[in-house]
Amino acid sequence: MTSLSYNHFFILSLIVFIIGCFGLFLNRRNMILILMCIEIILLAANINFVSASVFLNDINGQVFSIFILTIAAAEAAIGLAILVIYFRNKGEIDITQINQLKD
Amino acid sequence: MFLVGSFFLFAAFLITTCIFVIFSKNPVNSVLFLVLAFLNSTFLFILIGAEFVGIILAIVYIGAVAILFLFVVMMLDIQITTLMFNIKRYVPLALLFAGIILAEIIYLTVFKTSKVNIDTFIRSKNNTEQIGDVLYTKYFIDFQLSGIVLLLAMIGAIVLTHVYRPTIKRQNIDSQNSTTAKDRVQLVKIKSGDGIKDD
Repeated sequence: MTSLSYNHFFILSLIVFIIGCFGLFLNRRNMILILMCIEIILLAANINFVSASVFLNDINGQVFSIFILTIAAAEAAIGLAILVIYFRNKGEIDITQINQLKD
Repeated sequence: MFLVGSFFLFAAFLITTCIFVIFSKNPVNSVLFLVLAFLNSTFLFILIGAEFVGIILAIVYIGAVAILFLFVVMMLDIQITTLMFNIKRYVPLALLFAGIILAEIIYLTVFKTSKVNIDTFIRSKNNTEQIGDVLYTKYFIDFQLSGIVLLLAMIGAIVLTHVYRPTIKRQNIDSQNSTTAKDRVQLVKIKSGDGIKDD
């Protein structure tokens, strides 16, 4: 195994994806950490797109990776805005209490 | 050999920092480890020749998203002790999920191996030129749509977090523009020694 192959990056991105999902499942309280886990998952998707694009010698994957980046930035902005108003109303960021918003 | 060694170094750092993001007790530490994870993936992208996406990742994620997280984490007064998650309750579910994906990895790597190699590149242009060739022609509509998505996100974030306070005095541009000189200035003739009569 003297040279890099797509499998290296594929396994790496899947491991990162698993870590993100694991954090999402493990941590059901802290809303900021949930947003960060989503960022990790999107990073894993980005690694997969870019490495596939490089190893298949096709530039379209990198363009889509830029689009993923855009969506991730928008999602982070909206998520953090929701977090800020939730904290302003409740004084905490415990996500188990968020079902009281329907009252 | 240098390439493989660097890959394993950065990959190990990336995985370690991702694990630290999840298991840090303090959210500030989590955000800083997230920055480190993004930096490591930037190195990985540059390593395999995707320089543009790597640098964009550094600028957008580290410079904007992670700093946004850091601001929010530091602005909110969070009691860390109340957010200590109950690990024992959720570990079976998380392990089940991780196990399913791990089985998929093993299936894919054992039974479907890809033969594409990094040494078979044909580079006529550099990475940025290649992206620019398709981004503004083939994906022009998508490019504009992503701009609209960003605009919507910006407006949404402002609308959500904006607080209207009626006590604050604001500039009323309409009334300012519709005033004439008569509303503001009054010419008064004053006799000598008489003073001004106050109505």
